[in-house]
Amino acid sequence: MKNRLFQAYKQAPWRVQLQWIGLFMVCVVLISAITSVYLSINSQAATAGREIQSLEYQISTMNDEISELTADLAEAKSTEKYRAKAESLGFKLLNPANAVYLEVPGYDPDADLVLAPPRVNLISEFPIVQSSYKSSLWDWFVENIWQVSSRSTESQGEVLP
Amino acid sequence: MKPLYFPRYIIITLICGIIGIAIVVQMIRINYSDTAQDLLAKSSDYQGVEELVYPARGNIYDRSGNILATNQVAYELGIDLKFVNDPESIAFAVASLFEDLEYDEVYELANIETDEDENRYFVLASYVSEEKIIELEQLEETYQERRSEAHSLIPSLEGLVWTSMQQRTYPEDSLAANVLGFYNYFSRETAQGVYGVEEAYNSLLTGKPEKIFMANDPYLVEALPDINPGASLILTIDREIQAMVEETLAEAIEWSGAEGGTIIVSDPETGEILAMAGTPVFDPNEYWEYEETFPSPTPYNKAIGTTYEPGSVFKVITMAAALDSGVADLDTTYTDATGVYWVDGSWPIYNWDSGAWGEQDMTGCMQHSLNVCLAYIACDLLEEDLFYEYIQAFGFGRSTGIDLAGEANFPLRLPEDNEWVSLDLATNSFGQGIAVTPIQMVAAVSAIANEGKIMMPHIVRSVVDQDQQYNITPQLINSPISAETAETLTQMLTVTLQEESSNALVDGYSLAGKTGTAEIPTEYGYTSTTTNTSFVGWGPSDDPKFVVYVWLEEPAISTWGSEVAAPVFQDVVEQLVVLMKIPPDEIRLELSSGPGS
Repeated sequence: MKNRLFQAYKQAPWRVQLQWIGLFMVCVVLISAITSVYLSINSQAATAGREIQSLEYQISTMNDEISELTADLAEAKSTEKYRAKAESLGFKLLNPANAVYLEVPGYDPDADLVLAPPRVNLISEFPIVQSSYKSSLWDWFVENIWQVSSRSTESQGEVLP
Repeated sequence: MKPLYFPRYIIITLICGIIGIAIVVQMIRINYSDTAQDLLAKSSDYQGVEELVYPARGNIYDRSGNILATNQVAYELGIDLKFVNDPESIAFAVASLFEDLEYDEVYELANIETDEDENRYFVLASYVSEEKIIELEQLEETYQERRSEAHSLIPSLEGLVWTSMQQRTYPEDSLAANVLGFYNYFSRETAQGVYGVEEAYNSLLTGKPEKIFMANDPYLVEALPDINPGASLILTIDREIQAMVEETLAEAIEWSGAEGGTIIVSDPETGEILAMAGTPVFDPNEYWEYEETFPSPTPYNKAIGTTYEPGSVFKVITMAAALDSGVADLDTTYTDATGVYWVDGSWPIYNWDSGAWGEQDMTGCMQHSLNVCLAYIACDLLEEDLFYEYIQAFGFGRSTGIDLAGEANFPLRLPEDNEWVSLDLATNSFGQGIAVTPIQMVAAVSAIANEGKIMMPHIVRSVVDQDQQYNITPQLINSPISAETAETLTQMLTVTLQEESSNALVDGYSLAGKTGTAEIPTEYGYTSTTTNTSFVGWGPSDDPKFVVYVWLEEPAISTWGSEVAAPVFQDVVEQLVVLMKIPPDEIRLELSSGPGS
């Protein structure tokens, strides 16, 4: 059998060449595939990078706009501007003798201004580190065995509909 | 048998091998050459730069949330020589928009020849307004149209670049400037708050600058870390009261011809400062004019930074000590037979009018502001140990600890000091020979208006940091007198104001207070031609909600506190009760005794 196969290759050497060509083509296809995957990932990474840069720029621009608008608003609401506007609308300073006082239940003129929520206690009532991270391997094993056995006991006692 | 073309194969293989080896050798050589090192260094520059990013400085609000200090966007204008192709247009544009930049100067900078790989940047102007930048953008658009019409590369502003930066701004201009201080922002590296809240809370307001790698290489780009802005402050200052007090002070100075002055309004129960006005007036938006406005040794904030002899307002403290220690009560009398009190038989003390007022009880001594009576109380009843013990308990001789930069303090001269003489005890009793700051006077008097307790005077009510608000709890400094003494003294000073039909009285409101007229010490002794006048008062007498202190420096129209400072106090209180929504006593008592109270 071996001699017949050898004979066949010897009589038709193009079969060997075909094998080599096939092997070469497989390598080319493999390299092309890897290269295209590499290129694709790189281009996506570059695009994502550019998008991040663009978003960071937008954040920066919007922060600038917020600052500018805050400053504009503060200036528009300044005492001098308010007074000028009130006078242009015909308002006059109150004469204390003409003041009328009303009792408004629940109104506290000296209430604290709240610009942000008050400080909260950062110590959680639940443990941050789970017990499984603090127990020894033996403790963990026993605990899990216990849980599994208790679950199976519970399921045995269940009344199915 | 060897194939026919075997030698050719060998030759081709050798040639390819040699070429391959040559390529590898060349690659190694290039990698370790100087040029390669330069290229590597440049490539790392192109990858990105490490920048120190400064967080936005925190805002400052008044107690109602009105902004007193914030940041606005300004721009840095510069020339990046790498991109300049039309220096004439750049120089023309810049010189026509900025008065302080000359055409020749900008042209010279824009025309500097650089190597291709040289990166040169020049700053032309800092803190340029947005309006100017918009004008530049419009000009560039016009140039662009002209370029496309003429199919030319000029005119062009390419190479003229602007980058945004934060600039401190005070939207209320000079309002509360003496409290706020200012922020000298021109040099970003050395910028810091100066005076007032800006200096006292500089580190909180500034936040923490962080070094951040700003990648140019898209493969290295990551989301920038959030940089927390500086903490914001909510002050105890009420913008409306502050504006009213500043306006009243300006009118008072104009009316009285005073050299300067200060007015403080505080809440005695908490120590919160509701308003603090002083001269000279200063706009922190133009902080570079500081030295012109405050020639040395003018303090930035007179209310905390200037020491002076308080005069008769100090009699309130002496009387409080006498009543609280029990050496005197309301029925204690003093007979002023000659109008003179002799200290150690050597130094005479006279009344303000040099007259004798006969037998007076303690209310009479305060009502007629008798120096001889108060000297008698200090020297004969209290004596030095008790007197100075009370003076120190009221906080004189040390800083109040108010959270503002620039507080002054004049050390108290005590009996154990070599410079102290027994005359000091007599003169100190009526506010001469002792130096205090207006804020020390307000803190001390607050004890009488607040059941004998002195609260720490403070300006900051809350701090807002990283989206959490921390409210400041008022702190008790000391309780120099009992609540009973405080109430007795308040009643006494209410009666004295009413009986003398003082210029300080306000219709419908019971007020307690005391005038002050202080001679000014000079190197040649005391001058009687000019005085410092003051008035300290609080109300409503039965439940004090405010303490108002008025101090006017060397008024021209009169030398007496009762004629100059008292009417100013009245003017302030008339408006203050409206702004603080305090009804007249009759209505207030009616409301508080109502069914829902």
